[in-house]
Amino acid sequence: MNVLRSQAFSVLRRPLCRRLATTRPFVPPAQLVFHDTLFAAGAKELDDNTVDALEAETNEREFEDDDFDANNSQDKAHPDSLNFYTGRSSYYDNIVELQNAISRTRGTLQRLHLLPLPEFAWKSLKPMPTVWKTPEEMTTDFETAMTISRYRKVTALLNELNEYLRIATTAGYADVAERIGSIISIFESGKKEAFLARGVRKPVQLDQYGRSYTFGKRKTSAARVWMIPVKPPSRQLGSDVNVEEAFGLSDKPRRPPVNVTVSTILINNLPIAEYFPQPVDRERIVRPLKIAGVLGKYNVFTIVRGGGTTGQSGAVAHGIAKGIFAHEPETGAILKRAKLLRRDPRMVERKKTGLAKARKRYTWVKR
Amino acid sequence: MALSLSRVPFHRSLPQGTLICVRTYANSPPGQQSPFRIQNVKNTGTSKNKKAFSRKNRIGAFRSMTPSSLTVPVLQPSPNSSLSSVPSFKPELMTENMIGQVVAFSQTPNDPIKYFGTPKNMLLEFRLLSKRCSVIRNITVFTAEELDSAAAEPSHKTRYVLTGPSGCGKSFLLLQSVQYCLAKGWIVIYIPRAKTTVNSTTTHTYDLRTQTYLQPNYAQQTLRRILEVNSANLETLTLREGLNYDRRSFSSGTTLAQLASAGSKDAVISSVVLETLLNELSRQSKIPVLLAVDDFQAIYNQKTAYRDPHFSAIRPYHLAIPRFILEFASGKRSFPKGAILGALTAMDPAFPVTNELIDELNLPGLHPRSPYSKRSKILQEYARGLMNLPVPEEFSPREAASVFETWMRDNALSAPGNDELFLAKYTESAGNPKAFVWQGILGTLEGAAPVVNQNTPWPQLREGRIVVQ
Repeated sequence: MNVLRSQAFSVLRRPLCRRLATTRPFVPPAQLVFHDTLFAAGAKELDDNTVDALEAETNEREFEDDDFDANNSQDKAHPDSLNFYTGRSSYYDNIVELQNAISRTRGTLQRLHLLPLPEFAWKSLKPMPTVWKTPEEMTTDFETAMTISRYRKVTALLNELNEYLRIATTAGYADVAERIGSIISIFESGKKEAFLARGVRKPVQLDQYGRSYTFGKRKTSAARVWMIPVKPPSRQLGSDVNVEEAFGLSDKPRRPPVNVTVSTILINNLPIAEYFPQPVDRERIVRPLKIAGVLGKYNVFTIVRGGGTTGQSGAVAHGIAKGIFAHEPETGAILKRAKLLRRDPRMVERKKTGLAKARKRYTWVKR
Repeated sequence: MALSLSRVPFHRSLPQGTLICVRTYANSPPGQQSPFRIQNVKNTGTSKNKKAFSRKNRIGAFRSMTPSSLTVPVLQPSPNSSLSSVPSFKPELMTENMIGQVVAFSQTPNDPIKYFGTPKNMLLEFRLLSKRCSVIRNITVFTAEELDSAAAEPSHKTRYVLTGPSGCGKSFLLLQSVQYCLAKGWIVIYIPRAKTTVNSTTTHTYDLRTQTYLQPNYAQQTLRRILEVNSANLETLTLREGLNYDRRSFSSGTTLAQLASAGSKDAVISSVVLETLLNELSRQSKIPVLLAVDDFQAIYNQKTAYRDPHFSAIRPYHLAIPRFILEFASGKRSFPKGAILGALTAMDPAFPVTNELIDELNLPGLHPRSPYSKRSKILQEYARGLMNLPVPEEFSPREAASVFETWMRDNALSAPGNDELFLAKYTESAGNPKAFVWQGILGTLEGAAPVVNQNTPWPQLREGRIVVQ
């Protein structure tokens, strides 16, 4: 199905049109020199030498396209673009092309019963984030200064096309999607991948010993956290077996063994109970382990600098949460819901002029 | 105990011995009786001890109510919450496979906890628990074995000092040793707060004969305590030579119990009686003697809080009670059979652990030390030969689990007692016993998740309640 018109004047062949458009300046017809009018105006007859010289001149001024001959043809020369007289032919050409593409695509999708799309279907479309070229890049492409209004016009059309691309892709019409995609790709920025990947967490790699190295920050404190899984104690053969008990000969019932591994948390090489005397700081640090359910699974070594007790304990907790996520990505959902993977953005508010502190005002005096 | 501002005196029936104080909050105008009177409402037949609730005798904020006054359902003990299944402390339980077992100190007629007393933190903990419990650790078993081998040797061969960081269980271990030796038939002299001998809270008088400062009241108290706890053993021992002092005479053959009871009634002769008693105990080799001193570092501080008439600080070896402790601890005096045990208090700014003890016991000091730091030669002499018995600074998971279970069964937990809470508190306290119990179990604000009653007709009034199991 021929969705889009043949791309004779399309943007793919733009360079050709551009050359055609720019290399020849516009000369008003009144100023054009015609040999016929020269004689018609009653100019004195030229001798043959002059005529030859003039003819030679005319031949020199032959242009590449044989269709167009400003000097010989009586008709006015047709500009290549229909939007020639706007002065921004390339820009309006592209606008028109995009609008045509949109209308054609819309018609196609309507015929395929994909438009208008119900609300729930819009939500189910595959997300395709787009990053268009910057106004500066578009300026060089369209040869006009891309003001904000022009840029918005172009991007509005492109966004609409992108929506149709999403519909076509999600519905599975690959050829439609491909055609739309070919138009859209011309206007997409080359830095799209980098832009969309901004802010995405880099996955933390475990080193040769299985340790994770993460950072945590809170207020003005920064913590470097190393976490390594606790090695379960090697059970020796026969250590748990009591012969008397096995044969039912002992009268004292043995208490069940407590087989748990415990996490050791060292902060600046001191045990957590020694470094943080306040229970609230200790609980803040142990909270990520508790929520992820990995108490006793990892040993933690931290170096923390800067700030006070709350900042340091918050930084350590942040680092531990990231470390747990590095070791076990499945805990990501629950840690995120508990806002433990988030760097707490709250910082000390600055003092303002006219106020005693950040918010505190001076005593109000009536007079 | 209830405080009330009403003018009307209470007529409710009260358990025996309860004292209700109505505080005077309003100052009456001069010349008039105050509108609020301090009323002491007492039942008939109660003791006339007005000092029981006085400010001086109040220790800490924990004073348990009598079971009959617990009328609120939350405070009612649940049927299966008692600690009745906790076994009593017995010397036979000091074995390897009992490590991690919680045992209770039962109320005996010569209960050392009652008569000698305990350090303050331990007292508060025993008040909170329904029974006075402690857990058997591997260091307990080790100490019991050492004491067994010391029972046949002179005391100058077994002079241990229990050391470790703050809250690691030194005082508890000392109490366990006291109970162990008492149950094994030793004579036990336990001084739970040795800093009271050097902080100028008891009278001191200079004695020309001995050229030391005697502490008669303290000696009297000590004699009374020794007598109450060791009366059976002291009955079997007698004076070898007669004693004549201050118009009192004790013939040879007087039992040490009679001697001690005479000294405990009269402060004038108490110091001499105590000295004589100790001399007798140092001569007899029938019954081993344990001298257990908590706050051991207090007597090794060069300057006590006592002042002489020239207002210079009196040295501990010039005071009678610290002197005899120092002499036994250094081995200058010795029981033919027995041991000396001391426990340091790591965090006491008034009486820190001094350089002499740090050097002798090879402890990591808090402050940088050099060979030029101040040390007292006399105290170094008194510290010679002391052996360091380091107490492990963390509970093993099994011991911690037993302690946790004990507090859980005693309804001390505000949160559901599951392994997550146990592991969280163990991790937070890094196994340190004091931090685990006081800041972990008792000091946590974590509680059960609130349960919302969905049957409330108005959603705006719906609130979550924490159901206490």
